[in-house]
Amino acid sequence: MKGLLIVPVVILLLLVLNSMYVVQEQHQVIITQFGKPVGAPITSPGLKFKLPMVQKVHRFEKRFLEWDGDPNELPTRDKRFISVDSYARWRITDPLLYFQRLKNETGAQTRLDDILDGEIRNAIAKYDVVEVVRSTNREPQQSEALEEDNTFLSQISSGRNVIREEVLANARTRTADLGIEILDVEFKRINYEAEVQRKVYERMISERQRIAERFRSEGEGEAFRIRGEKDRELLRVRSEAYREAQEIKGNADAEATRIYAGAYDKSADTRSFYEFLKTMETYRTVLDGQSSLVLSTDADIYRFLKGGR
Amino acid sequence: MTNGNVGGGGGHGPQIPEIKLPRFGGNGLRTVVVLVLAVIAVTTSFYTIDPEETGMVLRFGQYVRSTEPGLHFKFPFGVERVLKVPIQRQLKEEFGFRTLKAGINTQYSTREYADEANMLTGDLNAAMVEWVVQYRIVDPYRYLFQVRNVNETFRDMSEAVMRRVVGDRTVNEVLTVGRAEIALAVQSDLQVLCDQYETGIKVDQVVLQDVNPPDPVKPSFNAVNEAQQEKEKLINQAQSEYNREIPKAQGAAQQTVQEAEGYALDRVNRAKGDAALFTALYEAYRLSPDVTRTRLYLETMNEVLPQVQGKVVVDEDLKGLLPLLNLTPPAKKDGGK
Repeated sequence: MKGLLIVPVVILLLLVLNSMYVVQEQHQVIITQFGKPVGAPITSPGLKFKLPMVQKVHRFEKRFLEWDGDPNELPTRDKRFISVDSYARWRITDPLLYFQRLKNETGAQTRLDDILDGEIRNAIAKYDVVEVVRSTNREPQQSEALEEDNTFLSQISSGRNVIREEVLANARTRTADLGIEILDVEFKRINYEAEVQRKVYERMISERQRIAERFRSEGEGEAFRIRGEKDRELLRVRSEAYREAQEIKGNADAEATRIYAGAYDKSADTRSFYEFLKTMETYRTVLDGQSSLVLSTDADIYRFLKGGR
Repeated sequence: MTNGNVGGGGGHGPQIPEIKLPRFGGNGLRTVVVLVLAVIAVTTSFYTIDPEETGMVLRFGQYVRSTEPGLHFKFPFGVERVLKVPIQRQLKEEFGFRTLKAGINTQYSTREYADEANMLTGDLNAAMVEWVVQYRIVDPYRYLFQVRNVNETFRDMSEAVMRRVVGDRTVNEVLTVGRAEIALAVQSDLQVLCDQYETGIKVDQVVLQDVNPPDPVKPSFNAVNEAQQEKEKLINQAQSEYNREIPKAQGAAQQTVQEAEGYALDRVNRAKGDAALFTALYEAYRLSPDVTRTRLYLETMNEVLPQVQGKVVVDEDLKGLLPLLNLTPPAKKDGGK
C-alpha cells in the first residue's frame, strides 16, 4: 500500500518543481510553450511559476554586455594604415525579438562583429588619421624652458568623438530590429601599422636631431654674443676712463694756466718782471760747461769794462 | 582579479530538498537523513562578512538586503544566496605594466604589456604611457547587476579614455609639462564613463607612471638633453670669461682716472705755489726795482758765467766777427782785447 503511494507522490513533486523557476537579478526571461512565446518577457527577479512540462524557460542577460573587436588594420582617408582595436557595450532590450532574430549570445556577437567592424571601417576610411586620434582643437600647453621642443597641433574638423558618434548612430539603426541596443562604441587602441610605425619613429628621431642641433648652435651663438658683449664692454670701460682722465687733466691745466696768468698778468710791471725772472732762470739752465759765449761789450755785464761809466 | 567573490553566472532552478520523506527502510535511515538535512541547514544559513566587504543577499535570485560586516543568518538550502563585494577596499588596475612582486624592491614587468602603453599623441608621434587607476566600488548593486565583466569593461574604458586624452596632446605635453593635467583629465572623463555605464565605480585617482618615448626613439631624446647641457656649458664658459675680464678692466679704468686726478692736483698746486712765489717776489721787487733787477742779473751771471768755457767779448762796434773766431772748445787764448 505504501509502495503504491510513492509513485504519484514523486510525480507530483516533480511537477511542482518543474512549475517553479528563479529569475536572477541580472536576468530576464521569456517563456515558450511548444516553442511559441507566451506572454510578456519577465524582467523582475524572484521565484516564478509556469505550466510544468509544456512551458520552457529562456534566460537572457539584462546587464550591459561586452563586445570586443579584433584589432583591424584599416586604411584612413590619407592612405595610412592604422590598427584599430575597439570595444562596445550593448544590452538586450527586447528579449523576444532577440530570441527570434539572434537565438543566443553567440549569434548576437557574430552579428555585432559584422555590423560594428563594417561601420568602423567605413568611418575610418572617411577621415584622416589625425581626426581619429584627436578629439578637440585645444591649444597645447607649451613649456617655457624648451621653446624649440614645442610642437603645434594641426586643426581638425570633426575628431574622434564625432567619428565615434557616427559609428554608433549607424550601428544603432542596423541593430534596431534585433532587440538589442548599443550603448556606445569606443576606440580602445589606435596605432600605426608596423611599417608606418617605423617611419614615424624615423621622423621622430630626425625631429629630435633637429632640436639637438638647434640647441648646439644656439649655445655657440649665445657664447659668441657674450664674448662680443665682453669686448664691447672692455672698450667702453677703457675709453670712458681715458676720456674722464683727459678731462680731469685738461681742467687742471686750464686751472693752472689761469692761476699763472692771475699772478703774472696783473700789470705791465709784473709782466716785465716775470719775463726778466724767467730769462734769468733760462740762463741758468741753458748755459753750462759746453757752451761758448760771445759777449758784446755793450752787454750789461761788460758795460763797465768798456766805458767805466 | 579583485572581484573574485562576485558570482556572475547562469542561474539555475533552486534545488528544494525533499523534506517529507516517505518512511521506508526503518527508523535508522530516517534519523540519518534528518541529521544530514539539519547539518546542511545549519551550514547554509550562517555566513560572515569581512570588515572591508558588504554582503548582497539574494532570495531566489532577487536582491533583498545588504548586510554589514559580521556573522549573519540567511534562509538555508539556497533560498538565499550571498554575494560579497569589497566596498571598503581601494582597488587598483595597472596599465602598461604589472607589479610582479610588491614590497621594498618592487619588481615590474613591462615587456609583455607594451601594447597597452603604446599610444599616439595629437601630433602623430608615439609615446609609451604607463598608468595606474585607483578606484572603489560605491554602489555594489550596480557593480553586480548593471554590467557583465565589470573589470574588463573598466579596463577597456580606462584605455580608451587615456588614449583619447593623450590623442589630444602634443608629445611634449605627454612627456613633460602635461603629466598632471593628463591624469586629472583622464580621471574626470573616466568617472563620466563609469557613471554612464552604471558600473557603481568611483575613480579615486589616476596616476601616471613612466611616460617615455618609444624605445627606438629614446636615444635621440637623450641626445637632445645632451645638446641642451652642451648649450648651457658653452654659455657658462663665455659668461665666466666675461666675469673674469670685465671687473679687471673696470679696476684698471678707475686707476687711470685716479692718476689723472692726482696729476690735476699736482698741476694746480704747483701753479698756486709758483704764483704765490712770484707774487711774493714781485711785492719785494716793487719796493726797489732797479737794484733788485741788477742784483738778480748779476747773481745769475755770477753763477752762470764761470761754467761757460769759451767766452769771447767783442767790442760793440766790431763787425764781421767770424774771421777771427775759433770756435773749437779748448781755445784758451784771449780773444779780442
